[in-house]
Parts: sequence; C-alpha cells; structure tokens
Amino acid sequence: MSSEILIDPITRLEGHGRIHIFLDDDGEVDRAYLQIPELRGFEAFARGRRAEDMPQITSRICGVCPMAHHMAGTKALDDLYHVEPPPAAAKVREMVYDAFIVEDHALHFFFLGGPDFVVGPSAPKAERNVLGVIGKVGLEVGKEVIAVRKELRGLISDAAGKVIHPVFGLPGGISRPVSSELRERFVAGAARAVEFGKLALQVFRDVVLSNQAYVDLVTSEAYTHRTYYLGLVDERHRVSYYDGRLRVVDPDGAELITFPAREYLDHVAEHVEPWSYLKFCYLKDVGWKGFTDGADSGVFAVAPLARLNASEGMSTPLAQEAYEELVSTLGGPPVHYTLATHWARLVELVNAAERMGELAADPEITSPEVRRIPTEIPTEGIGVVEAPRGTLIHHYATDERGLITQANLIVATQNNAARIALSVDKAARALVHGADVDEGLLNRVEMAFRAYDPCFGCATHALPGQMPLIVEVRDSSGALVRELRRD
Amino acid sequence: MRVLVLGLGNDLAGDDAAGLLVARAVREDLRGLADVAESGASGIALIEELAGYDRVIVVDAIRTGRRPPGEVVELDLRDVGPVVAPSLHQAGLPELAAVAARLGLAFPEHSIVMAVEVLDPYTIGAPVSAPVRRALPEIARRVRAQVRRWWNEDAARGASGRTGERRARLPGG
Repeated sequence: MSSEILIDPITRLEGHGRIHIFLDDDGEVDRAYLQIPELRGFEAFARGRRAEDMPQITSRICGVCPMAHHMAGTKALDDLYHVEPPPAAAKVREMVYDAFIVEDHALHFFFLGGPDFVVGPSAPKAERNVLGVIGKVGLEVGKEVIAVRKELRGLISDAAGKVIHPVFGLPGGISRPVSSELRERFVAGAARAVEFGKLALQVFRDVVLSNQAYVDLVTSEAYTHRTYYLGLVDERHRVSYYDGRLRVVDPDGAELITFPAREYLDHVAEHVEPWSYLKFCYLKDVGWKGFTDGADSGVFAVAPLARLNASEGMSTPLAQEAYEELVSTLGGPPVHYTLATHWARLVELVNAAERMGELAADPEITSPEVRRIPTEIPTEGIGVVEAPRGTLIHHYATDERGLITQANLIVATQNNAARIALSVDKAARALVHGADVDEGLLNRVEMAFRAYDPCFGCATHALPGQMPLIVEVRDSSGALVRELRRD
Repeated sequence: MRVLVLGLGNDLAGDDAAGLLVARAVREDLRGLADVAESGASGIALIEELAGYDRVIVVDAIRTGRRPPGEVVELDLRDVGPVVAPSLHQAGLPELAAVAARLGLAFPEHSIVMAVEVLDPYTIGAPVSAPVRRALPEIARRVRAQVRRWWNEDAARGASGRTGERRARLPGG
C-alpha cells in the first residue's frame, strides 16, 4: 500500500493549488505533483455570446492580468474578422501593453519574488515578507515601486479606459486615439520606468549577485531543468510581448521551429492526467515522454526566462546589455535555472520600458486612424500575447452572425504546468523520506512556485511569505501520522 | 474624513460576486458619505485602492465551509493578526497596512472586513446562490449603518472641537 502526503494552502480552502506526494511501500517518493484546478464553466458561459464582448469578458476572469486577457482577446478578434488594425492602433496597443508589462514585473520582483531573493531564503520567516524587502532595499526604492506603478496604471487607465477591465481593443483597432497630451505623459512615464528598471537591476546586483550563497542557490541542481523554451519573437528573433511569431528552442538553445501564432495547435498539444483538471502542454514535434526533461521530452517552459531563452536577445539597448550580463554570468543561452526567472523579469522590465518610450516618441502614435471596420464574415480567430507569466492564447470560433460557438483559453500556467510538476517532484524526492518530511520542503516548493508565478485558475495570487501550507503525512491505512503547518 | 466601501470579487464567477453586489446596492444611498468602488484586484495591488482614505469597509467572499452560506463575519483590522481570514483574494490587509505605514503612505486608520460565507465562487457564469442572494440586503444594511456610525462619531468629535467642517454632510441631521 502506498501513502499520500498532501500540501494544501489553507487560505484557499477549495479550488486551489495542492501538492500531492505519493510514497511507495518503502516510504520513498513515488510521484509528486501540483494540482491546479481551473475556473469552471468558461466555455459554456462564452457560447452564444457576441464575439466582440470577449475582450471585456475575459479581462474580468482574472484580477491579476486583465490587460493580457483583454489584448489576447482583441487580437483573436482581429483574426476572427480578418481585419488588420491600422499601424497607429497596433502601436498604441503595444505601448499600453508594454506599460502593463512594466508595472506587473515591478510588482512581482519586489513584492512577490522579493522575499526569496532580496530578503533571502535563509532569513527568518518574520522577515521574509514585503516589509523585509523594503527594509533591505530602502524606503526610497520601496516608495518608487509604488509610485512608478501608480503612474503607469494611471497612463493605462487614460489610454484604455480602466486598468482592471479595459475598454480599449476592438476588432481592427482601438476605441480612441492617443492625444498629444497623453503621449507626452507616456514619454515621461517611460523615461521614469527606464530609470526604475536600472535601479532594480542594480538592486539585483547588489543584493543577489554579490552574495555567493544566493548565486549558488540559483544555479543549484534542485532548480535546474533542461527543457525546451517557447516565446514570441519579432522579425529579428528578439523578445516581443504584444505580437510576433512563436519560437521554440531546444535544451541546447538551437531553434526547433518558428511559426505564426495561428499554427499554435499544430505544434503544441495538451496531455491529460487522470489526477488533474489541468492539461499539461507539450511540443507535438517532440512528443510526450512523461514528466522528464531533456531533448527527447516535449516538456517546455514559458515566462520571462523562457522568453529570453527562446529569443536571440532584446530589442532595446539597455535591455540587451542586461541580457548579455545575465547570460555571461549564468552561462547560456539557454539558462536552465528556474530561479533566474527573477533576473530575466528585470531584463524584460527594462526592455518593455524602453520600448514604451520608443513607441511614445513615434509621431504616428497620435494618429486619429485607429480603426479599420471589419467587413468580412467571422469564422475562427486565434490571438496570442506574452502575458507577464508567459504565452497566453485565446481561440474563438463563431457562427456567421459572430456569436461564439467555441472558446478556449490556454493560459501561461498551463504552458508551464509540466515543468512546474518537474520542480515539485524534484523537491519532494530530495526532501521527503517517509513520514520524516523536512520542513525545508515548504520553502523549496514555495520558491519554485514564485519563480513561475503560477496563477491558480487565473483567479488569484498569494502574497509573499503568505502561502500557508499544510503537509499531511498519512500511513497506508489513511491515519495521520505527521502534520506540518505553516500559517 | 474620507470613507471607502470596496467590494471585491468577480461578477462572472457565481458567489464571488457577493462583494460587488453589496457595493452596487449601497452606492446611491452612500453618495456624499463614502466612495464606493469595485475591484477584482488582489494582494498588494489593493494598496492603491485604499491609500488616501481614513475609513474603509471591504466586502469580500470567503469560503470556509464552516459557516452557513450568507453568514457575514465582521473583522476589525486592528483585531486581525498577520494572517487574515481565508479571503478569496488573500488581500492580506494587515500586511498592506504595514507596508503603507512603512512607506509613509496615507492609509485608513480604521478598516473593517465584512466577509460573506459563500457556496460556489469558482464557476464562470453560475448565478449567485439563493442563500447568498437572500443575505445581500442585510449585508448592505450593515455597511450603510457602519458608514453612518463613523460619520456620527466624527460629528461627535467635531462637536467637542476636534473636527467639524464635515458635520454638514451628515444624513438627515
């Protein structure tokens, strides 16, 4: 008889991430996995609704990245109605989207991932929180995180209607042009964001890179998985968030394939396990070989580090410098250290800030030509963006009236699910031996989580240091023999 | 005195709409007395929603499975330890207050969380369940009563000479 250990975040008593660890008869780990239930009923809810409502509806699914859903939905509508937005509309969309990437990455690095790196994994639990981060980086940096995000969110609101539920993207364009006054504010906001990004990179150098123990942790085998990587790239194979083609590189960094977003389903399939609602995405071109890494396994990763790996660099000068520093320090590309995702996030922050500034400086950004009215009969549409947490796909089909007949969202966490499972399994094998569960398991699992930053069911987010966990160790008769709690 | 009533939730996901529906129910009645906002944001992102207010009521859905659906648990932030009630949004209000204090941001000195026990906050397109729907008017009444209580306290302080310019905004004199 085998037994099962369950790690359950108690603040989300139902419907949220659970870690199950099955032991074999000898008390060693047989298999461990993370279960992330999804929000139910989306497909049924969408059916029969007007396609043009989808960017609003999908942005309301998730309080964490509404703009990513709004933009993926908008691009799916372009495709559905066979209409290309005018150049100015595409530029405004990208500029607003870049602002969103910056503010989200800033939040994540300092307040969600910061406790692991800025404060440090071995710091007392009482300090491994946002206050600890502020204590370490100083009040001025802490205030600037809040102030920059506030400024950027203000810009997004003024361009897109609302930050939380944008009313912005339309098939073939956007709802209104950018005024010269707003454009000036974007120029100023971008300049401030670039400075902030430089500051953040310096914090990373001072706090993380100057500390050999942190560097050893980042590069430790426990957090290393040699997988494939997927991300959007521009025409020169540089990291792109709003648009581009999808590129896959193998564990040695060689290009496997680059394809238009529309062909996504030809290259990525979903593997189903009986124990999870979650579908595990894998590369069809390689095949599903189980939860294992290496060139023979179709497991791949998305999100900041994967985007850097899947590209040939960054589109802007300061970000390119930061990218080169990262790969020369850690080796690569590709870089296989999951925890280096935090560093990659800062490289992207600088990139998105610089790109936002370039677009704001483009004379065409204030053009009134921001809409091309669709005239064709809608059929099927696919829209892809890089959400802060990785590749996000919206796929709609409609009848000839434009009413949804089928709607499917493939979110970043699904794309990353198999690799996250690898991380959980690796941590469990190292630290669980029978009922003797090392308390370090909780920390180690949490840290891997936060690097991927999975959204549970596109519904919520845990605060740093505030992911209460329970480990239950049960014997073969089901009796509780050990319980570890952190709450 | 600036008062905020903040409804949290997702109005596409069944009972998770509870906080938003309460916000909508009190908006008209509290005009001039409180700003009423709705948000789907969570965690530290809420700091921007709350900054600048003196008093806040947060209405949110929780699912503990230990209370009947529709029952409201009222928590005074000052009584809440570092781990908050099992909110669907893990707002972590004490942490937000601590961060705001540390950064010198204006943050509510008094915050109340009204947490509504719900049945199913996870199914997109599901209706609000009957017990939660029946409880909404009572929750709205409690929100309105609390806001008025704050204004009465404020007026009483004003009468003793500490504040005063806001007395004119009291409802019904």
